[in-house]
Amino acid sequence: MDLNKIQNLKNQALSSIIEADTKDELEQIRISYLGRKGGITNLLKEVPKLKPEERKEIGKLINEAKKVVEDGIKQQIKIILKQKENKDDKWFDVTMPGEKTNLGHLHLITLASQEISDIFKRIGFKQVSYPEIEWDWYAFEKLNMPKNHPARDEWETFFIKGLKNKKYGGAVLTPHTSSGQIREMEKHQPPIRMLNIAKCYRRQIDTSHAPMFYQFETLVINKGINITHLKGTLDYFVKEYFGKDRKTRIRPFHFQFTEPSFEVDITCSVCGGKGCKVCKEGWVEIGGAGMVHPQVLKNGGIDPNKYTGFASGFGLERVLMMKYGIDDIRLLFNSDFRFLNQF
Amino acid sequence: MNILIPDSWLRDFIKTKASVKQIAEYLSLCSQSVEKIIPSKNDSIYEIEITSNRPDCLSIYGIARELNAILPRFNIKAELIEPKEDKSKLSEIKKPLQLRVEINKDSLCPRFTALIFDNVEIKPSSKITQERLEKAGIRALNNVIDISNYLMTELGQPMHTFDYDKIKKNKMTLRESKEEETVVTIDNKERKLPKGTIVIEDGEKRLIDLCGIMGGANSEVDENTKRVLLFIQTYDPIKIRQTCQKLSFRTEAASRFEKGVDPEGVIPAMKRAIKMFKDNCDASIASNLIDIYPNPQKPQKVSLTKDKLKKVTGIEINLEEAGKILNNLSFETKIKQDEIEALVPHWRWEDINIPEDLIEEIARIYGYYNIPNNLFVGNIPQDGGNQNLNWQSKIKNVLKSLNFNETYNYSMVSPQILEKVKIEKSDCIQIDNPLTEENIMRPSLIPSLLTVISNNQKYQDKIRIFEIANIYLFIKEDKLPEENLTLTLAITKDSFYSVKGILETLLNELNIKDYKFNPYELEKTTYGKIFKHNNLAEIIVDKEPVGVIGELDHKIRDDFNIKERTIIVDIELDQILKSASSIKEYKPIPKYPAIIEDLTLVIDKNVPIEDIIELIKSTSLIIETVDLVDSFKENFTLRISYQDEKKTLTDKEVKKVREKIIKNLRDKLKIKIKS
Repeated sequence: MDLNKIQNLKNQALSSIIEADTKDELEQIRISYLGRKGGITNLLKEVPKLKPEERKEIGKLINEAKKVVEDGIKQQIKIILKQKENKDDKWFDVTMPGEKTNLGHLHLITLASQEISDIFKRIGFKQVSYPEIEWDWYAFEKLNMPKNHPARDEWETFFIKGLKNKKYGGAVLTPHTSSGQIREMEKHQPPIRMLNIAKCYRRQIDTSHAPMFYQFETLVINKGINITHLKGTLDYFVKEYFGKDRKTRIRPFHFQFTEPSFEVDITCSVCGGKGCKVCKEGWVEIGGAGMVHPQVLKNGGIDPNKYTGFASGFGLERVLMMKYGIDDIRLLFNSDFRFLNQF
Repeated sequence: MNILIPDSWLRDFIKTKASVKQIAEYLSLCSQSVEKIIPSKNDSIYEIEITSNRPDCLSIYGIARELNAILPRFNIKAELIEPKEDKSKLSEIKKPLQLRVEINKDSLCPRFTALIFDNVEIKPSSKITQERLEKAGIRALNNVIDISNYLMTELGQPMHTFDYDKIKKNKMTLRESKEEETVVTIDNKERKLPKGTIVIEDGEKRLIDLCGIMGGANSEVDENTKRVLLFIQTYDPIKIRQTCQKLSFRTEAASRFEKGVDPEGVIPAMKRAIKMFKDNCDASIASNLIDIYPNPQKPQKVSLTKDKLKKVTGIEINLEEAGKILNNLSFETKIKQDEIEALVPHWRWEDINIPEDLIEEIARIYGYYNIPNNLFVGNIPQDGGNQNLNWQSKIKNVLKSLNFNETYNYSMVSPQILEKVKIEKSDCIQIDNPLTEENIMRPSLIPSLLTVISNNQKYQDKIRIFEIANIYLFIKEDKLPEENLTLTLAITKDSFYSVKGILETLLNELNIKDYKFNPYELEKTTYGKIFKHNNLAEIIVDKEPVGVIGELDHKIRDDFNIKERTIIVDIELDQILKSASSIKEYKPIPKYPAIIEDLTLVIDKNVPIEDIIELIKSTSLIIETVDLVDSFKENFTLRISYQDEKKTLTDKEVKKVREKIIKNLRDKLKIKIKS
């Protein structure tokens, strides 16, 4: 038998395999080479007629050719399938909703507290907590507001029934975080760099006042603390929390426990400081601050000749409502899922 | 306290070209805050918030005084104009009308002045007076009464007018009220006075004045009045305040008296009033001036060193400049080397006492906006503050990822809602002056969360919520209540075991290793009453009970109108956080493979699965873990992992242990393996 014939047949088969681009064509090729009457099958049929000394070698060659063609077909089928897969133009809707992974929601007050706490921690503040139900002594008396002082009127205070202590007087729901000032001073000598975020209570309810609300208070006491540091800290906070473009200013105000005392304004987000309906000539008030009154330092056991300090207190809801554009504080406390699920 | 200042009236006392807008802006920056500019016919009205330390600013003239110091700092000329006063001498009246005055206690009325006018013609005030009063928010009545209101607005000194002929026997006694006394005030209301109120009685012992607050109806000026007694005093602020609080009644005059009125301002006010009585009522003076002022205040000096000024403001302000600022605020100053000594004007005696007070005056006029922003340096406090706050954040984040919604609810709740969860209000902390029916500081977060479920079940099918907050527990009358930080979870449409799994996940996240769930057996506690008896477990951490997990009783659910099965977890957070740790324990990864097999037991009696697992674990040290992986009816499949640190276990070794397990189960618990 002509060895070239085997070789040619094989090459012929392989070249048509490579050119085939459907499964049907490949099947035709298989039949024409490997089918019952196929070219290679026919060659195999002739092997027994060969001389015995040729049989072994030629048989081996034909079988090899058969194997190569079979593999070639298999290989080409894979290629065709892959091509088909790549060219698959069945419509696939990418806008179908994804399968949801359920995730809960943290409350805005938590998110704001965490954010504020992080901002102050970056400049070395530590966060503390003090009682919500507090003695008159800490809430007023030691903050320079003796009984019957008219300044007390600004704190619409809730009083607690039946609690009374000889030294500390009656008990109140703390109307401000400043109650923690004396407690912090009693616990620590300077350096004090305190952040207190806590529930406060006042007898008020409307869109901007809830009977329970949060304040965050800073208290810094050390040697050499002055108004520039108070201003710098306020400015740092406002820029971190509200954005780099916001400006702060302080104006005169009065608190019994700071001297001088300030009100703190930031530029309005709505008009960018030009002046509009929601602000006062471009400024929005966000809280109070001041240099700790020397008598308050004394009351806390700190030497006012050695140390000075500043304090500031802001309404937490007020700042977050400004940031998120929320117009009714009561939404924060009535646990309506339609509100909570937004955050 | 807010006051209304018409711009046109203000300009009677300050001559300046400053615009309304400039006045508002600069006043806010350096003194009292202008809340609003209200446009009015040919005029503007400033609404100004006056801080409680500055009663001297509760007047047109007071604001003019401030502007006189402020405007020049902004390069705007300003000149203060003195109020026009009557110049007559007040002690040379021929045949003066008489008034006998007795004051029972000096402290009630530090300064008492009175003057009688005759030939008073009662008529409406001039149009300009009426308009000005109206702009300042006061209703014009007649020329006499209007004078007192006009001057209270202009000078900040409240005053009162009586019909002289209605004061019986020309006699007045100023005293404290006794028990059960009443007075009818000019608004025709009978007011029952608290004991100790400052009042005046006349010669027939009738009360004719509720001092400093409102006059009596029986002595008021009316259209027939001819002779008027003008009354200008100052009162003990605390007394006035106490009376107002007890009566829940406050007038413009009272708000000023309780903040303190300058006794030195009384005579200038009197002289100004005389001029107005003459001009507006054609009246003539008919008595000598009565002026009882037993303890005149002494002029007050305060000193400030240059060092101190710098220490507090952080900037260098030279003393000459500081002195000039103080002079413009009517302080007399003397500079001695590095110290400035200031004589305080009488209207600031209450407010300016210490060097810091002077610093405030200097710095605010110098301009807080001129002080730079600096961050401080220095030591950082050593202790880390409240560490539990970090744990709270962590817990909240874990719960969020477990599909929980966080809620914040009011600390005060109503007695009715506590009743629903079987809590007696008498055991709780109560608010003396509540704003609403919510007058109890909640001793549990459960009722709040049940209310949230009830309100929101229409929006969401399966609910998972939590709150972390203090609860308040009474200890003793002279002790502050305990404020216990509590974590409460409420879950609907889920099983006890699924919620238990959530709780275990949370405990694992906190690295709490030693916890256990025991059946809860106290029936008489709140927990015992509101949960299903057989679906309630006590949570034990480090051998201490820290809370419960349980399914809410049907009856309680109905009371809250909750439709679905509800599981509650209630935990004392402070307590479990004592066991929390942020450091995970490291164990080397085993070098040899474990052999894992499942054993299915047939448990047809009430044996806690935990006991079975414990028994299996105690069989051999090579048993690494035993977990329940499946259960169906009486069949419980446990997956056992055998592991030896030092070698690969052979089947033979495991077989030995397995046989021992089976024997133990059979002998000790009478439990068989499913064949």
